[in-house]
Amino acid sequence: MNYITIALAKGRLAETATELFEQIGLDVSQLREKNRKLIFTDEKNRVRFILVKAGDVPTYVEYGAAAVGIVGRDTLLEEGRGLYEMLDLDFGHCKMAVAGPPTARKLLEDVTTLRVASKYPAVAKDYFENVRGRQIELIKLSGSVELAPLVGLSDVIVDIVESGKTLRENGLEVLEDVCPLSARLVVNKISVKTEKERIMDMVDKLRTLVHSK
Amino acid sequence: MKNTFHIPGGTYDRLPQNMRRKRFAENTIINTFGAHGYEEIETPMFEYLEVFCDRAGGPLQETMFKFVDSDGRIVALRPDLTTPTARMASTKLADTPLRLSYVGHAFRNNEAVYGVQLKEFTQAGIELYGEASPAADAEVIAVTIEALLAVGLSDFQIEIGQVGYFKGLLSLAHIDGEAAETLRAAIDCKDFAGVERAIADIAMPDALRKAICALPSLFGNGTILDAVDAPDDATAAALDNLRDVLRRLEELGLAQYVSVDLGLLQSLDYYTGVIFKGFTKHMGFHFCGGGRYDNLCAAFGRDMPATGVAIGIDRLLSALENAEKEGTL
Repeated sequence: MNYITIALAKGRLAETATELFEQIGLDVSQLREKNRKLIFTDEKNRVRFILVKAGDVPTYVEYGAAAVGIVGRDTLLEEGRGLYEMLDLDFGHCKMAVAGPPTARKLLEDVTTLRVASKYPAVAKDYFENVRGRQIELIKLSGSVELAPLVGLSDVIVDIVESGKTLRENGLEVLEDVCPLSARLVVNKISVKTEKERIMDMVDKLRTLVHSK
Repeated sequence: MKNTFHIPGGTYDRLPQNMRRKRFAENTIINTFGAHGYEEIETPMFEYLEVFCDRAGGPLQETMFKFVDSDGRIVALRPDLTTPTARMASTKLADTPLRLSYVGHAFRNNEAVYGVQLKEFTQAGIELYGEASPAADAEVIAVTIEALLAVGLSDFQIEIGQVGYFKGLLSLAHIDGEAAETLRAAIDCKDFAGVERAIADIAMPDALRKAICALPSLFGNGTILDAVDAPDDATAAALDNLRDVLRRLEELGLAQYVSVDLGLLQSLDYYTGVIFKGFTKHMGFHFCGGGRYDNLCAAFGRDMPATGVAIGIDRLLSALENAEKEGTL
């Protein structure tokens, strides 16, 4: 029997995902060991787990290097690849939002060019151009995006908001909601056909588990 | 210092050993097509932009390489070969049924994604015009299977859908426009929750809602169709059409290469009936695709049914190479 490889986005998503996989009967003991291994195996069920950066999960799954992946919807929106997005796993809830200082609120309605900083340039561009119908100047950053409006680099930011604590502590607030986010189960388009029974069994079990919560 | 001898991303040099393999695949495929009466044609590498643009389901203007011809008009490198072939067939060839084949390069100015999206790629395909029957669709699929076997690929599947079934459900539920596109996209990426969400606020009978929500899971061997109900004549006709195609392929002894996916719903503006894609376990993405597109020729002034396939030669060669590697492990 071939291995089914599951790619998990490193961090909190992987921790919750590990619990879910344990509850549907997979052996996750190797995943729980604190070591530097890159591949964790459940020999009995012929499943392998790999831990990768969130942004790389869609890549592994699109090429079929991993058959299944767990990743936030934010990454899927930004990477926009040819994958089956089969389940909303109903954890890791947060939202994509436009945020900035309260004074930026009027800029959103203005016609002047809006400067938007984001780790999610594709999401920001799509929201402003297609939903809001206005052009923006995009500034791509890779972290601490909240800083940008504070030092005058941008007018607003587009970023993930969980509790909003970081925003508040820096005098920023949510100006507009873009969309809700949560963890998703993605599946390679070919693997689901070649390993239909095992993968759909996993999908069905996870769906039942998620719905029972 | 910038290395001026590199080639652009998404393009390939083919050294002799690679070129030998490629030419063998192209020749084998085009000869198989020819043996079934598909005559080879050639169209220009670039054409007036309007041939490709502003058509429902056509490629986006920003994905094409464009330049200005000496007559001042904008021309584009062809993004596919089906469209120019349809233009030629519609305007220059009178007798139907018409069986044409081609092999040639196509170009897309997308961001290159290694293996998945090239800027320059080779397609080999056939088009069958003037035949609206399921026999024509089955013929195209059968010839495709024969060509793939001839180049040495053995463990592949052609998965077949029928967009008419989904279109029928849409019209029964009175869904159109953006709502229809949202629903189509959710089904096409097997997003079960997304499908439920897309129709949550739309009033419809429970049975219809159930039928729509089932679409993402309706894939596998032909027997999955036994459990699918057709709520009206249009959906029944679509399912019968699909069953007819499957039965014909079975009679030809090709059942082992064929499966079903009713959730295959790419470009609804373009496809009008049977739709199919080919895959193998040796590669993570599809290497060929086709189906029925009865509306395209009308764009070139001739109302003529059409069905066909395009095989991505570059992807096929990768799949063959992977199959060889995995076979020797």
